[in-house]
Amino acid sequence: MASQLKVDTLTGVTTAGSIDVTGEGNSTTTNLQQGLAKGWLKFDQDNTTADDSHNVSSVTDVSTGVFNQNHSNNMANANYSTNITSGFYRVIGTNREDGGGTGVPDITSVAYFDVRYNSSGSTYTNIDMTSNTTVIHGDLA
Amino acid sequence: MASILRVNTLTDASSNNSVPMATVASGSAKAWINFNGTGTIAIKDSFNVTSITDDGTGNYTITIANDMVNAFYCSNLTSQAGATAYGFGTGDNTQTASALTGIFTIQHGGATQDVSHLSASINGDLA
Repeated sequence: MASQLKVDTLTGVTTAGSIDVTGEGNSTTTNLQQGLAKGWLKFDQDNTTADDSHNVSSVTDVSTGVFNQNHSNNMANANYSTNITSGFYRVIGTNREDGGGTGVPDITSVAYFDVRYNSSGSTYTNIDMTSNTTVIHGDLA
Repeated sequence: MASILRVNTLTDASSNNSVPMATVASGSAKAWINFNGTGTIAIKDSFNVTSITDDGTGNYTITIANDMVNAFYCSNLTSQAGATAYGFGTGDNTQTASALTGIFTIQHGGATQDVSHLSASINGDLA
Protein backbone atom coordinates (compact mmCIF):
# COMPACT_ATOMS: atom_id res chain seq x y z
CA MET A 1 0.00 0.00 0.00
CA ALA A 2 1.37 3.39 -0.94
CA SER A 3 2.00 5.68 1.99
CA GLN A 4 2.98 9.28 2.47
CA LEU A 5 4.69 10.78 5.50
CA LYS A 6 4.13 14.50 6.09
CA VAL A 7 6.88 15.96 8.16
CA ASP A 8 9.08 19.06 8.26
CA THR A 9 12.16 17.56 9.88
CA LEU A 10 13.62 14.10 10.01
CA THR A 11 15.74 13.25 13.04
CA GLY A 12 17.38 9.98 14.01
CA VAL A 13 16.22 8.24 17.19
CA THR A 14 19.52 6.78 18.39
CA THR A 15 21.62 9.61 16.95
CA ALA A 16 19.87 12.76 15.85
CA GLY A 17 22.12 13.27 12.84
CA SER A 18 22.06 9.70 11.57
CA ILE A 19 19.24 8.03 9.65
CA ASP A 20 19.69 4.89 7.55
CA VAL A 21 18.03 4.48 4.18
CA THR A 22 17.73 1.09 2.50
CA GLY A 23 19.64 1.10 -0.76
CA GLU A 24 18.52 0.10 -4.24
CA GLY A 25 19.58 -3.53 -3.73
CA ASN A 26 17.04 -3.80 -0.89
CA SER A 27 19.62 -5.00 1.64
CA THR A 28 22.51 -2.60 2.18
CA THR A 29 21.71 0.63 3.96
CA THR A 30 23.23 4.03 3.32
CA ASN A 31 23.31 6.98 5.66
CA LEU A 32 20.89 9.74 4.73
CA GLN A 33 22.82 12.62 6.26
CA GLN A 34 26.17 11.51 4.88
CA GLY A 35 24.77 11.01 1.40
CA LEU A 36 23.06 14.37 1.11
CA ALA A 37 24.90 17.07 -0.79
CA LYS A 38 25.58 19.89 1.67
CA GLY A 39 25.83 22.46 -1.06
CA TRP A 40 25.71 22.81 -4.83
CA LEU A 41 26.04 25.67 -7.26
CA LYS A 42 25.59 26.49 -10.92
CA PHE A 43 27.73 29.58 -11.44
CA ASP A 44 28.23 31.67 -14.57
CA GLN A 45 31.48 33.45 -13.84
CA ASP A 46 31.52 35.12 -17.24
CA ASN A 47 28.43 37.09 -16.21
CA THR A 48 28.98 36.74 -12.44
CA THR A 49 25.60 35.09 -11.99
CA ALA A 50 24.67 32.28 -9.61
CA ASP A 51 22.05 30.52 -11.74
CA ASP A 52 20.91 28.18 -8.97
CA SER A 53 22.26 26.84 -5.72
CA HIS A 54 21.67 25.07 -2.42
CA ASN A 55 23.20 26.22 0.89
CA VAL A 56 25.14 28.97 -0.84
CA SER A 57 24.84 32.44 0.69
CA SER A 58 26.89 34.17 -1.99
CA VAL A 59 29.63 33.68 -4.53
CA THR A 60 32.75 35.83 -4.46
CA ASP A 61 34.34 36.50 -7.84
CA VAL A 62 37.95 36.55 -6.61
CA SER A 63 39.74 36.90 -9.93
CA THR A 64 39.68 35.46 -13.42
CA GLY A 65 38.75 31.77 -13.10
CA VAL A 66 38.77 31.91 -9.32
CA PHE A 67 35.69 32.08 -7.13
CA ASN A 68 34.68 31.37 -3.56
CA GLN A 69 31.48 29.53 -2.73
CA ASN A 70 30.28 30.90 0.61
CA HIS A 71 28.12 28.50 2.62
CA SER A 72 24.88 29.50 4.34
CA ASN A 73 25.30 26.76 6.93
CA ASN A 74 28.97 26.08 7.61
CA MET A 75 30.67 22.74 7.43
CA ALA A 76 32.02 21.07 10.59
CA ASN A 77 35.62 21.18 9.39
CA ALA A 78 37.67 21.91 6.28
CA ASN A 79 37.99 18.26 5.24
CA TYR A 80 34.86 18.08 3.13
CA SER A 81 34.71 16.88 -0.45
CA THR A 82 34.56 19.54 -3.18
CA ASN A 83 33.80 18.63 -6.78
CA ILE A 84 33.51 20.91 -9.78
CA THR A 85 32.77 20.38 -13.45
CA SER A 86 33.97 23.15 -15.71
CA GLY A 87 35.49 21.90 -18.89
CA PHE A 88 37.38 23.89 -21.48
CA TYR A 89 38.73 22.91 -24.87
CA ARG A 90 39.63 24.73 -28.04
CA VAL A 91 42.12 24.60 -30.89
CA ILE A 92 43.90 27.74 -32.02
CA GLY A 93 46.08 27.09 -35.03
CA THR A 94 48.10 24.04 -34.15
CA ASN A 95 47.78 24.60 -30.42
CA ARG A 96 45.33 22.55 -28.39
CA GLU A 97 44.14 24.25 -25.24
CA ASP A 98 42.19 22.32 -22.64
CA GLY A 99 41.52 22.46 -18.95
CA GLY A 100 39.01 22.26 -16.20
CA GLY A 101 38.02 23.14 -12.68
CA THR A 102 39.97 22.51 -9.53
CA GLY A 103 38.84 23.02 -5.99
CA VAL A 104 39.61 22.70 -2.30
CA PRO A 105 37.72 23.22 0.93
CA ASP A 106 39.23 26.52 2.04
CA ILE A 107 37.63 26.93 5.46
CA THR A 108 34.41 25.71 7.03
CA SER A 109 32.48 28.59 5.52
CA VAL A 110 34.12 28.82 2.10
CA ALA A 111 35.03 26.46 -0.72
CA TYR A 112 37.64 27.70 -3.19
CA PHE A 113 37.50 26.90 -6.90
CA ASP A 114 40.02 27.68 -9.61
CA VAL A 115 39.36 27.09 -13.32
CA ARG A 116 42.45 26.85 -15.52
CA TYR A 117 43.49 25.74 -18.96
CA ASN A 118 46.78 24.68 -20.44
CA SER A 119 47.68 27.56 -22.72
CA SER A 120 51.08 26.64 -24.04
CA GLY A 121 51.99 23.23 -22.72
CA SER A 122 54.12 24.67 -19.96
CA THR A 123 51.95 27.31 -18.34
CA TYR A 124 48.34 27.66 -17.29
CA THR A 125 45.88 30.49 -17.74
CA ASN A 126 42.83 31.15 -15.62
CA ILE A 127 39.54 31.58 -17.41
CA ASP A 128 35.99 32.69 -16.56
CA MET A 129 33.56 29.99 -17.71
CA THR A 130 29.83 30.47 -18.21
CA SER A 131 29.09 27.09 -16.64
CA ASN A 132 30.68 25.93 -13.41
CA THR A 133 28.80 23.28 -11.46
CA THR A 134 29.95 22.37 -7.97
CA VAL A 135 28.83 19.95 -5.29
CA ILE A 136 29.97 19.55 -1.69
CA HIS A 137 29.71 16.51 0.57
CA GLY A 138 30.78 16.26 4.18
CA ASP A 139 29.65 17.01 7.69
CA LEU A 140 27.61 20.08 8.56
CA ALA A 141 28.56 21.92 11.72
CA MET B 1 15.06 2.62 20.60
CA ALA B 2 15.83 2.05 16.95
CA SER B 3 12.82 2.01 14.66
CA ILE B 4 12.02 1.47 10.98
CA LEU B 5 9.61 3.68 9.10
CA ARG B 6 8.20 2.17 5.91
CA VAL B 7 6.93 4.88 3.61
CA ASN B 8 6.76 5.60 -0.11
CA THR B 9 6.83 9.38 -0.10
CA LEU B 10 8.10 12.15 2.14
CA THR B 11 6.25 15.45 2.07
CA ASP B 12 6.62 18.51 4.23
CA ALA B 13 3.85 19.38 6.66
CA SER B 14 2.44 21.90 4.19
CA SER B 15 2.12 19.13 1.58
CA ASN B 16 4.85 20.68 -0.53
CA ASN B 17 8.28 19.43 -1.57
CA SER B 18 7.20 15.84 -1.96
CA VAL B 19 9.97 13.35 -2.63
CA PRO B 20 9.61 9.61 -3.23
CA MET B 21 11.82 7.39 -1.09
CA ALA B 22 13.26 5.96 -4.30
CA THR B 23 14.56 9.44 -5.09
CA VAL B 24 16.00 9.80 -1.60
CA ALA B 25 17.83 6.50 -1.98
CA SER B 26 18.93 7.07 -5.55
CA GLY B 27 19.76 10.74 -5.11
CA SER B 28 22.02 10.28 -2.10
CA ALA B 29 25.74 10.10 -2.68
CA LYS B 30 26.85 6.56 -1.87
CA ALA B 31 30.41 7.59 -1.10
CA TRP B 32 32.60 10.67 -0.88
CA ILE B 33 36.13 11.45 0.16
CA ASN B 34 38.70 14.17 0.58
CA PHE B 35 42.26 12.88 0.83
CA ASN B 36 45.87 14.00 0.81
CA GLY B 37 47.64 12.43 -2.15
CA THR B 38 51.16 13.54 -1.26
CA GLY B 39 53.79 11.63 0.72
CA THR B 40 52.08 8.98 2.81
CA ILE B 41 48.60 9.43 1.44
CA ALA B 42 45.85 9.87 4.01
CA ILE B 43 42.07 10.19 4.14
CA LYS B 44 40.98 13.53 5.62
CA ASP B 45 37.30 12.65 5.71
CA SER B 46 35.11 10.16 3.90
CA PHE B 47 31.87 8.23 3.76
CA ASN B 48 31.56 4.57 2.70
CA VAL B 49 35.27 4.34 1.85
CA THR B 50 37.47 1.54 3.17
CA SER B 51 40.87 2.74 2.03
CA ILE B 52 42.91 4.56 -0.58
CA THR B 53 45.90 3.24 -2.48
CA ASP B 54 48.87 5.10 -3.90
CA ASP B 55 49.36 3.59 -7.37
CA GLY B 56 52.14 5.94 -8.43
CA THR B 57 52.67 9.63 -8.95
CA GLY B 58 49.27 11.30 -9.22
CA ASN B 59 47.57 7.90 -9.51
CA TYR B 60 45.20 6.52 -6.86
CA THR B 61 42.54 3.93 -6.08
CA ILE B 62 39.61 4.45 -3.73
CA THR B 63 38.13 1.25 -2.25
CA ILE B 64 34.42 1.33 -1.48
CA ALA B 65 33.15 -0.16 1.80
CA ASN B 66 29.64 -1.25 0.78
CA ASP B 67 29.92 -2.12 -2.91
CA MET B 68 27.93 -0.64 -5.73
CA VAL B 69 25.67 -2.98 -7.74
CA ASN B 70 27.85 -2.62 -10.83
CA ALA B 71 30.57 -0.45 -12.32
CA PHE B 72 28.18 1.96 -14.03
CA TYR B 73 27.93 4.51 -11.24
CA CYS B 74 28.62 8.20 -11.55
CA SER B 75 31.99 9.26 -10.14
CA ASN B 76 33.12 12.85 -9.82
CA LEU B 77 36.74 13.77 -9.21
CA THR B 78 38.30 17.11 -8.47
CA SER B 79 41.93 17.87 -7.80
CA GLN B 80 43.57 20.77 -6.12
CA ALA B 81 45.38 23.13 -8.45
CA GLY B 82 49.10 22.94 -7.80
CA ALA B 83 51.31 26.00 -7.49
CA THR B 84 52.36 25.72 -11.10
CA ALA B 85 50.07 22.91 -12.09
CA TYR B 86 47.18 22.55 -14.36
CA GLY B 87 45.77 19.94 -12.05
CA PHE B 88 42.45 18.20 -12.43
CA GLY B 89 41.23 14.73 -11.60
CA THR B 90 40.23 12.17 -14.18
CA GLY B 91 39.23 8.52 -14.19
CA ASP B 92 40.24 6.00 -16.81
CA ASN B 93 37.04 3.95 -16.96
CA THR B 94 38.47 1.03 -15.03
CA GLN B 95 36.23 1.56 -12.01
CA THR B 96 34.59 -1.54 -10.54
CA ALA B 97 31.69 -2.10 -8.16
CA SER B 98 34.09 -2.15 -5.24
CA ALA B 99 36.71 0.40 -6.21
CA LEU B 100 37.25 3.63 -8.04
CA THR B 101 40.51 2.94 -9.83
CA GLY B 102 42.66 4.76 -12.29
CA ILE B 103 42.34 8.18 -10.71
CA PHE B 104 44.91 10.55 -12.13
CA THR B 105 45.77 14.15 -11.37
CA ILE B 106 47.24 15.83 -14.39
CA GLN B 107 49.54 18.81 -14.76
CA HIS B 108 50.94 20.63 -17.73
CA GLY B 109 51.82 18.49 -20.70
CA GLY B 110 49.83 15.53 -19.40
CA ALA B 111 52.24 14.45 -16.66
CA THR B 112 50.76 13.22 -13.40
CA GLN B 113 51.31 15.01 -10.12
CA ASP B 114 50.65 14.30 -6.45
CA VAL B 115 48.31 16.83 -4.84
CA SER B 116 47.38 17.47 -1.23
CA HIS B 117 43.64 17.84 -1.83
CA LEU B 118 41.68 15.39 -3.97
CA SER B 119 37.93 15.02 -3.73
CA ALA B 120 35.62 12.37 -5.12
CA SER B 121 31.94 11.53 -4.84
CA ILE B 122 29.91 8.59 -6.10
CA ASN B 123 26.24 8.42 -7.08
CA GLY B 124 24.57 5.24 -8.21
CA ASP B 125 22.95 2.05 -6.95
CA LEU B 126 24.23 0.10 -3.97
CA ALA B 127 24.50 -3.67 -4.28
